[in-house]
Amino acid sequence: MQRESKPNVENRQKTSGKDSKKVPIGSADFLAPESLEKALDYRKRYGFQATVIAGGTDIMVDYFERLYEVNSWLDLNKIEELKKIEINDENIIIGATVTHKRIAEHQELQNHLPMLAQASSEVGAWQIQSRGTIGGNIVTSSPAGDTLAPLLAYNAKVVLQSKGDKRIIDIEDFFIGPKENVEESDEILTKIIIPKPSKNTLSRWRKVGKRKALIISSLTMAILIEVDDQGVIKTARACYGAVAPTPIEIRNVGDYLERQKLKNVDPKKVGEIAVSGISPIDDIRGTEQYRRQVTYDLTINAIKEMASEL
Amino acid sequence: MEIKFTINGEERTEQVKPNQRLLDLIRKDLGLVAAKEGCGKGECGACTVIMNGEPVTSCLVLAAQADEAEILTVEGLAEGDNLHPLQEAFIEAGAVQCGFCIPGCIMTAYCLLKENSSPTRNEIRTALAGNICRCTGYQKIIDAVQLAAKNMAAGGEN
Repeated sequence: MQRESKPNVENRQKTSGKDSKKVPIGSADFLAPESLEKALDYRKRYGFQATVIAGGTDIMVDYFERLYEVNSWLDLNKIEELKKIEINDENIIIGATVTHKRIAEHQELQNHLPMLAQASSEVGAWQIQSRGTIGGNIVTSSPAGDTLAPLLAYNAKVVLQSKGDKRIIDIEDFFIGPKENVEESDEILTKIIIPKPSKNTLSRWRKVGKRKALIISSLTMAILIEVDDQGVIKTARACYGAVAPTPIEIRNVGDYLERQKLKNVDPKKVGEIAVSGISPIDDIRGTEQYRRQVTYDLTINAIKEMASEL
Repeated sequence: MEIKFTINGEERTEQVKPNQRLLDLIRKDLGLVAAKEGCGKGECGACTVIMNGEPVTSCLVLAAQADEAEILTVEGLAEGDNLHPLQEAFIEAGAVQCGFCIPGCIMTAYCLLKENSSPTRNEIRTALAGNICRCTGYQKIIDAVQLAAKNMAAGGEN
């Protein structure tokens, strides 16, 4: 049976929707302050009762199908101060709600912090990078958070502000366990401060996952090596994600590398030291053995590649 | 609470609940059903709409976060009876199988073509990596985006 077709104009769907019915508002609240000061007031008053949200790309998944459990939201997206990127002679200061997309596309960040820019460009997919923020990635504190190994390697510090007070701590002291960190209920992570790497800095970032996009990493690696004019290693930091309860730096790798000539380093030895420093688990994204093998291989390749760059 | 936003060029004021998702506002309250709910967890891209010029998975955005935002959905692409070149190209290339993922694919492709008017196949793959097609008709989707780019360059449109 053929359906009667209506004239095109009436048939056509409206482009901006029908009038919605007014919905009753429950006791839950949505707070979207325009100033940091106001946000800190709310934080002091409500603490963990108001769930802090920025891009929402992690928290909305956590609360999938049980959004009703959230009593109130404290949305940080209207605070302009948190969206700034500042670069001075010594430091690069990134506001907490700067999105992955902005970091990935920022020319100067690509130049100064290539590992961070690359990691940001590999978070989720475009839709996630549009919304997800660097501060959110840190505060979620997943051991697999893509930007975290690079931030450790760059020796980043985070600024935790509360009403009338602030503390600046090394990012490695921020994480205390899987999805656990030292942020207090009245604090907001406002900025990330990264010392500008010197010109003689080499770095390698790698992410391993089961597919290219929209994947929680099986493993991430960020290695930074600073050499002097003779090619002698001044500082080295080898950092990994998803191989321990928190993103970690393997100090023994740095201790081994420092004061050696990069060209003379035995990459296999570095790989062995890296593997002995991690404590991976078996999970859906990879086995412990797999993670040890991949850590070993990626580390060796990174050291070889960096040595060939000199 | 009340939010003001623009959707497909029209300014609107809506009452939303704090725990309401943007996807539900668009589909249930506004009746714009092009954006689909696939996974509800930001993994599949079926609910992709454009918010302030960038593609977002609307299942991960709270409706209240759309206050002052500019939203574009597939329903806002055509001008009168003329489909957007992307829509034409998806038809012409036979890029639509079951169709569930297509509104999301088209919105992401729309953003891509705004940024890059003649993307390579690899650039299209990267841009559309967040849109999953379970009919796995990716080749023709990529063909369609390339065809749209070509037609738009020839027509000097958008």
